[in-house]
This record gives sequence, structure tokens and C-alpha cells, in this order.
Amino acid sequence: MPALVSQRHKAEDLASAVELCFSRGWTDGLPVIPPTEPLVRAMLDAAGLAPEQQIAFITHRAVSITAEKVAINAVMAGCRPEYMPVVVAAIEAIGDPQWSYHGPGTSTAGAGVLMIVNGPIARELDINAGDNLFGPGWRANATIGRAVRLVMRNVCGSRPGTLDRGTLGHPGKLSYVIAENEIESPWTPLHVERGFGAEQSTVTVLAAEAPHQIYNQLSNTADGILRTMADDMRISGNVMGQPQYAVILAGEHMRTIGADGWDKPRIRQFLFEHTKNTHAHLKKTQRMSGELKPGDETLLRPLVESPDDILVVAAGGRAGAFSAYIPGWGSKRSSQSVTKVVGRQEVAR
Amino acid sequence: MIEILDPTTEAATQTIAFAPRPPALAGLRVGLIENTKFNSDRLLQKIGEILKTEYGAADVRMWRKHNSSVPAHQEIIDELTRTCDVMVAGVGD
Repeated sequence: MPALVSQRHKAEDLASAVELCFSRGWTDGLPVIPPTEPLVRAMLDAAGLAPEQQIAFITHRAVSITAEKVAINAVMAGCRPEYMPVVVAAIEAIGDPQWSYHGPGTSTAGAGVLMIVNGPIARELDINAGDNLFGPGWRANATIGRAVRLVMRNVCGSRPGTLDRGTLGHPGKLSYVIAENEIESPWTPLHVERGFGAEQSTVTVLAAEAPHQIYNQLSNTADGILRTMADDMRISGNVMGQPQYAVILAGEHMRTIGADGWDKPRIRQFLFEHTKNTHAHLKKTQRMSGELKPGDETLLRPLVESPDDILVVAAGGRAGAFSAYIPGWGSKRSSQSVTKVVGRQEVAR
Repeated sequence: MIEILDPTTEAATQTIAFAPRPPALAGLRVGLIENTKFNSDRLLQKIGEILKTEYGAADVRMWRKHNSSVPAHQEIIDELTRTCDVMVAGVGD
């Protein structure tokens, strides 16, 4: 069995080991599980990974993220060993050039890493897709995202005030993990839309703002609910940057829209068409530079580059006429959502 | 006694070969790299003017990166290498 190469530190007992982690600056502000060798080994074994295996290389930081470091941080975050393959897939995804780590990892705009888990592993690990979707209460949701953020902090150097310059940040930077409610959803799951098999498990990452909740307790049609959604979305996020968006349709809205026969492409197309802003409005509200010109009242700028830049996900509690949209960070030019298969890195040992 | 493993990693050491800094700018060609952030072109233009009027730079040219979150793309670097003696770049909001 290959040796673990990380430096070792000694503490008197469990409580002082927790304090040691704080004093070294290794935590996100909450206590961590002290990463002892047996716990780290169990994490690596559950994913079938050798410690020296590289999971991702962050070019702009010249940092190699090895399985050993991912495992240590996953232990600290409180992950169960069986969560490790999901953490690994998420790390692969944020190391992908399409996600482009340096921007969303560092920017003053303060992105979190939204992780959407699809496929059977979401049910196996009890990753919440229902009630209190973005809230506390599920170990998998709380610790998988936390592990990713601890890797960003401890391995990639994304620490607040230095290489994480988020002006405001948001609570999702602690952990921001959801699953799609594939059991009750009337729609094709996100990963299948993105070319994977329904039986495969995936993690999709989007550098993202906090969730923005929308209310529609009035309409019983897809058109009505999505008009409300579009109206809330139209001026949001980096409106001039055209980032990607996630749209989270929860229980009641999901059922109403599905019952009207609308599929995800139609939802995306509708939202694309109804979230355009006039140049006049963008100029009057100091989002677009330049003087008002004739024609600006009717000249339209889309919120996103294309309908495909809206990721539609069925998730959230069964009761309540609420949904959410999540503006991506910055712009699509700077960072794009990435989907990775869970378990791809397993190797024979 | 409990022994724990260090979760941090140091970045790999890299050697960066900086071009030697010239003792003066008089007669030199200056390249400016604009990062696409609002007003960054105006700021750099001002810097370019000062380098010409106060320091005697021969010429100032500006390039625009694809976006602010990535390094300057290769075409910029190639052209800069051929046509400039010094360059000014920066990061900021």
C-alpha cells in the first residue's frame, strides 16, 4: 500500500487536534474531523484511488490536487467514505478548463460552487433533492460541498482576503450541493440532457450566486409560473455579462408545468425569450454604458447567450409554490458549467 | 496522542524568466494589456500617455484580453514579443 506523503502533526487528544486545525487555518470556521491516517485510508479505499493519483491540475495556480489531499479534506469536512467518489468528480469538474478555476475561485463577485448530483448515487447516498433543498439537515449535502471548499482553501489557496477576494460571498460557499428529484420529475434529468446515461451518476458544477426564490401562488399554468420566473430573472446577476443560469423548479411548480406538457427545452426557450432587456432600460439603470439612442426602447439584449445556458433542474419540497433561479458567476466566456461522471477515476490497485 | 495529516499543498516551484528591466524608457516601445474590465482601457491609455510625455517612450500600443479571468492569449504574447520592448499589465476592479 503506497505511503501517505503529507506532513504529520501531533496533538494531545481529539479536542486539541480540532483546535490545531483551527490554529493552522485549515477550517472554514466550523470544527473539522481531525484527519487521521485510518480515516484518510478509508476515504481513498472507498473511491478505489491511490494516494498519489492526480485528480486535477489547476494550471493558473500550478497546483496538483492529489487523491490524498482530497481524502484528507473530505475527512475534515465530515464526509462518509462512500461520498468520496462524488467529491472527486466535483474536484475534476472545477479543475476543467471550461470551469476555469482562477476566475470563480478568486473573483470579488464571490461565487460558490453549485453542485448538482444526478443518477443513482444521489439516492444511494441520500443526497437531498426535496424539502429544505438548500438548507441544512442532510449529511451528504452539507459535507460533500464542504469538502470541495476545503480543497479549494487548503490545496488551491483560495482563502478569504488573499486568493479568494469575494466582496460579499454567500452562505453557499460553505456547501452548495443538491440532487435532482429524478423520481418525481416529469422531465429528462440534467445529466441525460448533457449526454450521459440515466444509469450513470454525475456531478455538474456551476460557479454561482446564491439561490433567488420566486413566488407564484396564483397561476395554475406553465405559462403563468414561468412568466413570474422570467420577470424575476430579467434583471439579476451580472446582467451585462451573460452568465449561465440554473433554474430550480420545486414540487408544486414542477407538477403544474409538467402537467401542461412543457418539457425542459420549451421551458428554456420560454425563459430565454422572456428575459430579454431593452437597451434603453439597461442604459437608464446604469448597467449598459453610453447615451440613449433612437431605437434603444425596442433593441433587446438576451440575459443569456442561448437557451441552452439555462440549466433546468427539478428539485425542492413537494409543498409550496416556490422555485428558484441561480445566476452563474461572471460570464459564460469566463466560466461554464461542467459535468463529470462519478467513479471515472477508479483504478485497480 | 493523536497524529493528523496536513491538508495543504504548496504550489509547484516554477522559474519565471522576466525580461531584464530597462534602465530608462526613452525611445522604447510600450505594450499595454487591457483586461476588459470597465474603464481599464482609459486607465491604461492615461498611463501610456504619461510614459510617452514624461518618460520619452517612443510608442504605445494596447491589446485586449479575451476576458479578465484568463492569462493573455498566445496571439497577444507573440505579437508583443515581436513589437514591444516593455509591457504594462495589471489586475484589479
